[in-house]
Amino acid sequence: MAWQRQILRVNLSTGSCAIEPLNMEWAEAYLGSRGLGSKYLYEEMDPAADALSAENKVIFATGPLTGTMASTGGRYTVVTKGALTGAIACSNSGGKFGGELKMAGYDMLIIEGESEKPVYLHIEDDKVEICDASEIWGKTIWETEDFLANKYQDPLMRFAGIGQAGETLCRYACVVNDKHRAAGRSGVGAVMGAKKIKTIAVRGTKGVSNSNPKEFFRIVSEVNARMTDRDEMSRDGTLGMIDVTNGFGSLPTRNNRSVRFEGANKLNPEAMHTPNDSGHTNIVTNGACFGCTIGCGRICKIDPNHFSVKDRPEYHGASGGLEYETAYALGSACGIDDIDAATFAGFICNEYGMDPISLGGTIAAAMELFDIGAIDEKVTGGIKLEFGSAEALCQIAELTGKGEGFGADIAMGSKRLCEKYGHPDLSMTVKGQEFAAYDGRSMQGMGLAYATSNRGACHLRADPYGHDFETTEIEGKAEIVRDSQHAVAYLDSSGLCLFPGGCGWGLDDYRSLVDAACDSDWSSEERMNETGERIWVLEKLFNLKAGLGKKDDTLPKRILEEPADVGTGKGLVCRLGEMLPEYYQLCGWDAEGVPTEETLQRLKLS
Amino acid sequence: MDISVTLFGGLRHFLPAGSSFNKCTIGIDNEASLEDLLQKIPIPETKPYIVILNDEKVSLENYADIKVQQNDEVVLLPPIKGG
Repeated sequence: MAWQRQILRVNLSTGSCAIEPLNMEWAEAYLGSRGLGSKYLYEEMDPAADALSAENKVIFATGPLTGTMASTGGRYTVVTKGALTGAIACSNSGGKFGGELKMAGYDMLIIEGESEKPVYLHIEDDKVEICDASEIWGKTIWETEDFLANKYQDPLMRFAGIGQAGETLCRYACVVNDKHRAAGRSGVGAVMGAKKIKTIAVRGTKGVSNSNPKEFFRIVSEVNARMTDRDEMSRDGTLGMIDVTNGFGSLPTRNNRSVRFEGANKLNPEAMHTPNDSGHTNIVTNGACFGCTIGCGRICKIDPNHFSVKDRPEYHGASGGLEYETAYALGSACGIDDIDAATFAGFICNEYGMDPISLGGTIAAAMELFDIGAIDEKVTGGIKLEFGSAEALCQIAELTGKGEGFGADIAMGSKRLCEKYGHPDLSMTVKGQEFAAYDGRSMQGMGLAYATSNRGACHLRADPYGHDFETTEIEGKAEIVRDSQHAVAYLDSSGLCLFPGGCGWGLDDYRSLVDAACDSDWSSEERMNETGERIWVLEKLFNLKAGLGKKDDTLPKRILEEPADVGTGKGLVCRLGEMLPEYYQLCGWDAEGVPTEETLQRLKLS
Repeated sequence: MDISVTLFGGLRHFLPAGSSFNKCTIGIDNEASLEDLLQKIPIPETKPYIVILNDEKVSLENYADIKVQQNDEVVLLPPIKGG
């Protein structure tokens, strides 16, 4: 058994902490992490409740492979109703927190209710206490972790919590663990902030075992040997993708006005490895999460003479740097080619606890509002919010982290911002969540994946990449998006990372590891597919009960009506209207995107 | 004539010695095809890629028929993997 078979339930309203047995029937049907956390959320809360109310719950869920020796087995998911979207939020993170929570003896931590005063949670195996957080409320994530690490004097204690962005209910506040790994999307940190829980400090000494460790070790070694294509990911991280999508013509630029950025070569791996005027490179080294044998993380330093950090030595050290998504959101989306400015804005996201994709996407929308005259310097507090302004990016990022000045508007997310200033069409979002770093015109499958994603626009809910790379024709894309949505839901529920899939592993490798870790037979492709589909449809049911529907499975007018300007998709708009009915039909849903009774029965969901 | 070729992502590690970060210059005959050009770049068959010629994707079946012209812009892209 790779599950610990118990969960920790903390009620902030009553101050109670209780250890309960894990519902193994649900674990057999939903595997773990994203899937199992979603099942608990679906069963325990009214999806129509306000995301920032006491009725919402925050679930930290590990998978059966979290904390094991399987490569990349350090993942956990924060499941809640998203503050940004009003949809189900399943935000996945790496680092070392997830493994530590599992080794403390818990498959899941469920936080419910809300506290009157700021608190944090302290867990050391069976010892659990809700502690006064008055000394750390108002502090950054970095300050909070340093304070508690000093207090407990245990170098192996791990932390996952919020910064000031979560406290001030920034709609896309995230949960940051290990100072720069994040459950980033959908505003899970704002839900923590509403409950007034600052952070979770955890130390576990129990280890994670299973019924046949010797066989498990054999399978882990065998599967790991098949990860033969990881050198590029170790060397360049995900950032290497920026040249590829830019060349292809799918790199969203200036709030998706274009799909190619002339400054991409100043944000790419070459730029990261080229010494600056101070004689050092942006990148210091790569970094790896718990148990990872890839090490895609970028550990970077800002040029100390750069305007953003001049005379601010607290930012002269190394921290989590630009990855592909952040280079897009804090770079091309805003028309900015200053790698140090983008790195600084990324540091601010780590420090204050914000999703850099949504921050960058919202600033990009604000820059377009500024460009067309819908807002001016009176609104922005004197900031010339022009596309390409690195100074404006850095100023706004800090203001947003603190919830001050025009930053309070940026903290609403681009949907609410663009509605407030009378141009809702300029928000590049789905279900209120900002686009990731791919344009749905040159990548038609990604357009469909964004529109149908249960948590709003997201690049990690389906895998249409290969087919989109081959063709802009739409034949076959609905099936690829549907199948990969199910596969990704399964993988996210295992406790492993998605990236080995780009480094040599196939779905059968993931399946072998799950089967080796768990007691029951998880070896069949049928069970994998059915589990993934069940999770996907359960998330859909949550959203339907929350009031979302077909009207929300759509894309911004720009992507549907304004043709891409350059690249392989030049002249194309996203043909969502043709793909969506086929997608619904293939899913076994009716024309309104509601799963049919037959589908629900097949998946044992009715 | 000399043709400039850009290799993005991991493909750049197959550039000939002496190339810049991701570009190389390949000398070919005036009547050479795109296929002739590509054969001069030692990318293993196990590494898939697509060719963008002057900002337009070229289908594999047309490599042999397309004559490369002076000042053509040739870009080789590995698959998009996400991230």
